[in-house]
Amino acid sequence: MRVSCWRSLPTCGLQSTLFQLRDLKAVGKKFVHVMYPKKSSALLRDWDLWGPLVLCVSLALMLQGGSADSKEDGGPQFAEVFVIIWFGAVVITLNSKLLGGTISFFQSLCVLGYCVLPLTVAMLVCRLVLLAGSGTVSFIIRLIVVIAMFAWSTLASTAFLADSQPPHRKALVVYPIFLFYFVISWMILTFTPQ
Amino acid sequence: MLRQGSSDDIEDVSLFDADDEVSRRSKKSKIRHPVASFFHLFFRVSAIVVYLLCELLTSSFIACMVTIILLLSCDFWAVKNVTGRLMVGLRWWNQVDDDGRSHWKFESRKVSAQGHKTSSESESRIFWLGLITCPIIWVIFAFSALSSFKVKWLAVVMMGVVLQGANLYGYIRCKVGSRKNLTSMATSYLGKQFLRQTMAKEDQTAS
Repeated sequence: MRVSCWRSLPTCGLQSTLFQLRDLKAVGKKFVHVMYPKKSSALLRDWDLWGPLVLCVSLALMLQGGSADSKEDGGPQFAEVFVIIWFGAVVITLNSKLLGGTISFFQSLCVLGYCVLPLTVAMLVCRLVLLAGSGTVSFIIRLIVVIAMFAWSTLASTAFLADSQPPHRKALVVYPIFLFYFVISWMILTFTPQ
Repeated sequence: MLRQGSSDDIEDVSLFDADDEVSRRSKKSKIRHPVASFFHLFFRVSAIVVYLLCELLTSSFIACMVTIILLLSCDFWAVKNVTGRLMVGLRWWNQVDDDGRSHWKFESRKVSAQGHKTSSESESRIFWLGLITCPIIWVIFAFSALSSFKVKWLAVVMMGVVLQGANLYGYIRCKVGSRKNLTSMATSYLGKQFLRQTMAKEDQTAS
């Protein structure tokens, strides 16, 4: 969240809309950084939570399957996915802070949220594959895609987060991240449309 | 020293400005940023209205939830980045410096050298009214959702409480931060008055 003009009040309105475009570009840049996880400070320094919110909402929508609010569907409810993602991210952040990490609360939430992007892509692919059919072949394709994206998510977030930890504690930090993305991948893999 | 009826600071007004006072009062009650004031209240109130009327508007829980989430996010962004700055001259943000430590900054706009105050009273009233009442309403919703066990709405209500509570906390800290000078000024002024009165009483009893 950036602040723009302060003293020059007449041009404030114009600059407000301009820096909204700048914010959107910053969000887009972060998405690119997640897909190609290199050592970059964009995700950490200029954190924002808009990308995670968009990803969370779209993932929860896709996991819903269009069967709105029916009690018979086996898939998770919208609110459950929302709560799992945000509560899980908060717990991992608290865990890493308790282990003595130097990263701040919102930076960690930002990284974990943005690294859900590969899994959202996997969900999209799974839904497209399920449109074609739901036999064994489609299951194998979905399994491969989900495993690949899960590995990508975990590696991307580890690349950003593990550096802020003391060296002998890295495994203790990576393990909950692994579990978090595993739960999301499980929800994606076991999704069957009505 | 004439005291203006504002909540922000005390101005010295000379006798020559006496006829300007009326025009200044009318300027203070004018709304300078009508669009910002409208949107400040629009997103908050419509989020609450959608939450209350969702059962009547549509049978889809998801449509309601997504709408409320969108409205709450727009409201958070608008209040934090636009309306606070324009309407009351306060802003707050987070900064991460080079060694990775994050700092929260709370600022309030100082009155410029000409003594020209850029925030009007009615705008300030609208701003604080909207800022304070809506989180209270969301807290009431949280308690009612908990007590009637409508747990699926709890996620949305908690989001409302957190986002609007964050803005409330940020702006109160901006206000309190700037008020530290005001309270110290007021304390010293009152102290001087008290001392003057005590000295005057002592003079009376002495003579």
